[in-house]
Amino acid sequence: MTMASAPARSQNRSALKRAFERYPFLPALIILVVLMVLNGWFQPRSLSLSGVTGLIKTYLALMFLAVAQTYVIYAGDIDLSAGAIVSLVNVVIVAVMTALGGDGLSVMAALAVGIATGLACGLVNGLVVAALRLQAIVATFATSIFFTGLALYIQPVAGTPAPAAFWRTYGGRILEIPFVFYAVVAFAILLVVLVRTRLSLRLLAVGDGQQEAYQSGLPVTAIRMGGYALCGVFAALAAFCITGDTASGDPLVGGKMTLFSVAAVVLGGSALAGGYGTVVGSMIGALIIGFINSLVFFVGTPSEWQNLVQGLAILLALMAGVLVGRRARA
Amino acid sequence: MIKLKLNGVSKAYGATKALSQANLDIEAGEVHVLMGSNGSGKSTLSKIVAGSVKPDSGEILLDGQPITITGPQSARSHGIAIFYQELSLAAHRTVAENISLANLPSRAGILVDQETLEERAQHYVTLFDGVTGDGFSLDAVIQDLRADQRQLVEIMKTLSTEASVIIFDEATSALDRAQVDRFFEILRTLKQQGRSIIFISHRMDEIFAIGDRVTIIRDGKIVGTKRIADTNPAEIITMMVGSHDEAGAKPAGHSAPTGAVASALSVQNLTGRGFKDISFTVRKGEILGFGGLHGQGQSAVLRALFGAIPPTSGKIDLDGKPLDPANPRQTIRHGVAYVSGDRAREGVITGRPILENVMPIHYLRDRMKLAHPVVSAGKALPALQALRTKFAGLGFPISSLSGGNQQKVVIARWLIDRPAVLLLDDPTKGIDLSAKTDLFALIRKLAEEGMGIVLYASEDAELLDNADRILVFNGGSIRRELTGAERTRYNLYQAAYEAA
Repeated sequence: MTMASAPARSQNRSALKRAFERYPFLPALIILVVLMVLNGWFQPRSLSLSGVTGLIKTYLALMFLAVAQTYVIYAGDIDLSAGAIVSLVNVVIVAVMTALGGDGLSVMAALAVGIATGLACGLVNGLVVAALRLQAIVATFATSIFFTGLALYIQPVAGTPAPAAFWRTYGGRILEIPFVFYAVVAFAILLVVLVRTRLSLRLLAVGDGQQEAYQSGLPVTAIRMGGYALCGVFAALAAFCITGDTASGDPLVGGKMTLFSVAAVVLGGSALAGGYGTVVGSMIGALIIGFINSLVFFVGTPSEWQNLVQGLAILLALMAGVLVGRRARA
Repeated sequence: MIKLKLNGVSKAYGATKALSQANLDIEAGEVHVLMGSNGSGKSTLSKIVAGSVKPDSGEILLDGQPITITGPQSARSHGIAIFYQELSLAAHRTVAENISLANLPSRAGILVDQETLEERAQHYVTLFDGVTGDGFSLDAVIQDLRADQRQLVEIMKTLSTEASVIIFDEATSALDRAQVDRFFEILRTLKQQGRSIIFISHRMDEIFAIGDRVTIIRDGKIVGTKRIADTNPAEIITMMVGSHDEAGAKPAGHSAPTGAVASALSVQNLTGRGFKDISFTVRKGEILGFGGLHGQGQSAVLRALFGAIPPTSGKIDLDGKPLDPANPRQTIRHGVAYVSGDRAREGVITGRPILENVMPIHYLRDRMKLAHPVVSAGKALPALQALRTKFAGLGFPISSLSGGNQQKVVIARWLIDRPAVLLLDDPTKGIDLSAKTDLFALIRKLAEEGMGIVLYASEDAELLDNADRILVFNGGSIRRELTGAERTRYNLYQAAYEAA
């Protein structure tokens, strides 16, 4: 009996190991479920439809930005200007919408301009990091200041309202279903397509080793630039969400999101060194940060302690993720 | 028909000429072997052809037409592919993805065509059916594979380029017999298809099994090309050695200690990662040399004796007392000293003064908790002076010294409290000639004072000139011991290049 059960157990064990290897976001998923349960425990209404809608509305932007950051981190790079791109796109689209009159067509035009802006910012980053070979961490820090400067030039102070056509749609419902759910579904489809692209695979290969990728005959510079370009486009999408959520233009709105996006990627199980990770994990990571923030609020933490507790909770989540992952893979 | 022709190709790294005026013809449908000792220029030559190294001068002709190779991508577009000795695989990607990495099949322009990707990979995996071993599949992740399986993936990846000129740079080093046999069958098929293979290997039996012609390189120069059918191993080794085969006569100037002298270190059946069943004795006053090709276990044995990588089994006696090399702190306290050739990573403490670079071993062995600068200086100065180290002052940063003097500081560290055994792991890497001479004179002096010394040197001349006895490593074990007049370059090469 014991003879027979031992291999069976080891097979289960290796199946578990394989699952964790193939889906590195599993530890994050477990943490997310625990946080959801805790949220429901302390505030049952937080898991109602309106509660979840509100959470997604607030954190969809961070989810997009975490995905943006993931593509850069895939290749072993980093983008510290992601938040600044969000700010820039935010003020650009508000300015364009207002200038064109604020109707549906002007919103569409503004979104197109916004995507182009994000793409341009990403290409600038790719140029300085991949083509000019400056250190990613410092170079994108510099471009973040540059992008923030542009945003401040376009709109020196916060508070220009976005046209109602835009934020009413974002916060509203279509066929009784909140708009953000459509956004999430579209987002998911986009990611499923992107996972299958050559760029995604090549970014991961570059992250596994630039020298090896180069020797294999991959166009490493172009691939890294592609990662930054994709990051810029997703940062623009994040900006759309934040504009819909805040209903106004703010030249500094994205700045503090940058490091949250990096944290979300790591929480999601991706390796900062590159070569290993998933975009789904980063989305879950962003949601973990969202649930931690709301949980800290629901348990009634005094406002002056909220930051401290948030920080500790994120640290705990990171540790738990590492521990669960290590256990399962061992 | 000549497929590929190199005309006067040269490449220098600083003052060292890695390749000078190389001329080479590769015919269509032949396996052309490149032979040469460590650092003779084989890899530089193949990297130039594959585009990852740019030559300083010379011309490359493909099918009679001069071509310019600007990088690996451009080499590939000319139909030239290379198997990289150090592998070029993405560790977190699957076997199938790695095989087609540079040429991913696509659908709708941007998506990866998974079916074609797997079909194509399957074609190359099938070539090795039955010899790939457990756990090998199209969707296996590279980092989960064994060394030989990874090497097979790199071979498949190279084959998948379907290039007309393929370079295999030590493609068989991790493979077992069955895998090598299968690989050679595939090479014969490629030959029949009229493709040209440049084959680099250190295994003499393989060269005679698969090669058509062999070109010997020595010190960056092409020595000659022979038809394999018209030559023999002895002739090839003679060509690699050259005419300057001075027997290891130099150490004879002093009297090598004989059997009566007590042993400083005795090792029995030491086994660990990268070496097995290593047994030898170092007598007091003796310099024992470790020789052979790079990475045959020499460094691993030294590091195991030092406690940096624990051995799995074996017995070590230091000065007649058993030694358990659990970690470097233990072995240091028992009187083992280890000097690595990789100064930057394992020797100097960068950014710190010379004094701090000399003292740490003394602090450890003396169990000192407080360091008094004057007392420390009093101990550091004699050790540095004994080595004739040139330095401006103990307070100057270590980086102000030349490479040779930095290495002297690292050695001085071990001399404040006399160690019983000094392990030298390729200690003169990147040091200029005069500093080398200085260092070896010093090492001989330490030996004469009764220390047991083990010297691994990747430069064969250093070994032949300085070691009293040489143990030749091959494939992780000791193949031959060379003593007295046997210490010739010829014998050294012969033992090193024998089939492992």
